[in-house]
Amino acid sequence: MRKIDCHMHVNGAGISWGWDHNDRIIEAADALGIDELYASIPVTRGMPDFPRVRECNDAVLEAMGRYKGRLFGYCFVVPGHRESLDEIDRCLEAGMSGVKLYNQYRICDPVVFPVLEKAIEEGVPVLEHAGRPTTRDFLDQQPNISDAGHFAEAARRYPECMLIEAHIGGGGDWEWALKQLRDAPSVYLDTSGSIIDDGMVEACVRELGAGRILFGTDMTMEGGVGKVLGADLTEAQKERLFWRNFQGILDRRRRG
Amino acid sequence: MLIDINTWIGHWPFRRLSRATASGLLRRMDRAGIDMTVVADVSAALYRNSHAANEELAAQVRRHRDRLLPVATLDPGFPGWREDLRRCAEELGMVGLRLYPQYHEYRLTDPEALELIDAASERGFVVQVPQRVEDRRTRHPWDRARDLSGDEFLQALQARPQVKWMFLNALGLPVRAFPEARYVADISRMAAVLQRSMQAFLDKGGNDKLAFGTGMVFKVPDPALLKLELLDRGKRVRDRVAFRNAANLLGLKGTGR
Repeated sequence: MRKIDCHMHVNGAGISWGWDHNDRIIEAADALGIDELYASIPVTRGMPDFPRVRECNDAVLEAMGRYKGRLFGYCFVVPGHRESLDEIDRCLEAGMSGVKLYNQYRICDPVVFPVLEKAIEEGVPVLEHAGRPTTRDFLDQQPNISDAGHFAEAARRYPECMLIEAHIGGGGDWEWALKQLRDAPSVYLDTSGSIIDDGMVEACVRELGAGRILFGTDMTMEGGVGKVLGADLTEAQKERLFWRNFQGILDRRRRG
Repeated sequence: MLIDINTWIGHWPFRRLSRATASGLLRRMDRAGIDMTVVADVSAALYRNSHAANEELAAQVRRHRDRLLPVATLDPGFPGWREDLRRCAEELGMVGLRLYPQYHEYRLTDPEALELIDAASERGFVVQVPQRVEDRRTRHPWDRARDLSGDEFLQALQARPQVKWMFLNALGLPVRAFPEARYVADISRMAAVLQRSMQAFLDKGGNDKLAFGTGMVFKVPDPALLKLELLDRGKRVRDRVAFRNAANLLGLKGTGR
C-alpha cells in the first residue's frame, strides 16, 4: 500500500534530530514502504530571527534536491517576521508543498492570520506543532503551544484553510484533542509521534472520520507505520490514512 | 519463536484499556504471532494492597500457563510482603516481580527495596522495572509518578548485578558494557531504523541485553514486530532478541541458549 508521510524532519542548518545522515531517512522509508516524506526544519526553542529561519528552509531545499521524488518540503516561518510571506513565496516557488509552524505563536493568534490567508491563497496546507499538555513542566516548556481548541478557533475563522494539527501521538492528551476537533470539520489530524496507544488511531477515525486523518511519523518510523497497520480499520480506511487524504490536500494546490 | 517480556492486563484509572484481560491479551498475541508473554496486572500499581491484583492475575492466567507467564507486584513499604511473596511463588505460580518505584515511592536502591529484590531473586524470580507506565505527555494531572532515570537503573545494576533484571519501556539507559550484569531492556521504545537505537544498544551493551517487548495492552504490538523484522543483524542475534535472551533469564528450557 502506498504511503505518504505528511510529518517528517531532516537534519540541516546545524540541527540534528538523532541520526547521522539524511540517507538514513530514505533507508528507513525504503524499509517501511514509505514512498514520499514531507519534511521541515523548525526551530523548536525560542524565537529565531529571520536569517535563521531562511537558513533552515535552505537546508530543506537542499535535502529535497538530494532526494528528489522522495523528500518534499514545508516552509517553516515565524509569523510576525515581516519577511514571512515572501519566504513562503520563495519556498513554494522552489518546490515546497506547504507551511510549517511551530510553537512560537498559537495558531489562533492574530499575528498568524496573514500566514493562514497566504496558505489559503496558495492552496497549501499548514502543519502546526500541537499538543495538550497535562503537566506543568510540559506547558512551561512551550507556553504558546497550540492545542486542538486553538485549531478549532482558527478553523472557525478560516474554514477554507487546510490546517493540520500535528502528532496526535506526541501532543499530550489525545482524547481531549479528539473531543475538541469533533466540531472543527476542516481540521486534519496527523497520526505521528511516539505514542502508540492501543485504540488511538481507531478513536481518531471514529470521532473525526477517516477523511480527516493523515499518516505521519515525526521521526517515529516503525511506530508511525505500525500504529496504522495495526489499527482495527478497513483496508480502504487505511489507504485513506496512508496516502489518499494527503494526496487530496496536495492536489488542491493552486499553481500559476 | 517470540517471547514478549512487556505486557499488561488489568485496570488503569486514567484511560480505558480495551480487552485488558488474559483472553484479550491472548487474542492480540495470536494476531501478532507472539508465542509467550510475561504479564503483570497494572492494577497493582495503584491498589493500596498490590497483592489483590496478583491474585486476580493468577486466576486469569491459570488456564494459559503455557503462554502467559505471570509476574507479581509488591510494594516493599507495605506490610506483609514476605508472606505475599511466598504465596506468589508457592501458591500462585508467579515467575517474577514487576516493581513500580515511581508509584510506590521508593528508589530501587533503598534498603527495603533491595530486601524485597533479594528475597525475590532467592526464589529465582526475574525483576521487571518499567521506566514509566504511560508517557509523561499524556498523563492525567493526578498521575505524578516520575520516570526512572538511567542513573537509577545503573545504580540498581551496580548494587545487584546478579539479579535477573528486565527493564521495560526504557530509553536512555546507560548502555556502557556491563557484561557481568544479568539484565535485558525491551525494544518497545527503541528503533531499528533511522535512529538505530537498538543497534547502538546491542553494540554497547552486548547481544544478550536486548529483548522483544510490545507494551500490550497499553500499546499496539505492530511497531515492535516491525522493529524486529527490520533489525539488520544476523539470525543468531535476532533470535536472541526475539526470545533467547528472555528465555535465558526466565529459565525456560528448550528455548534459551
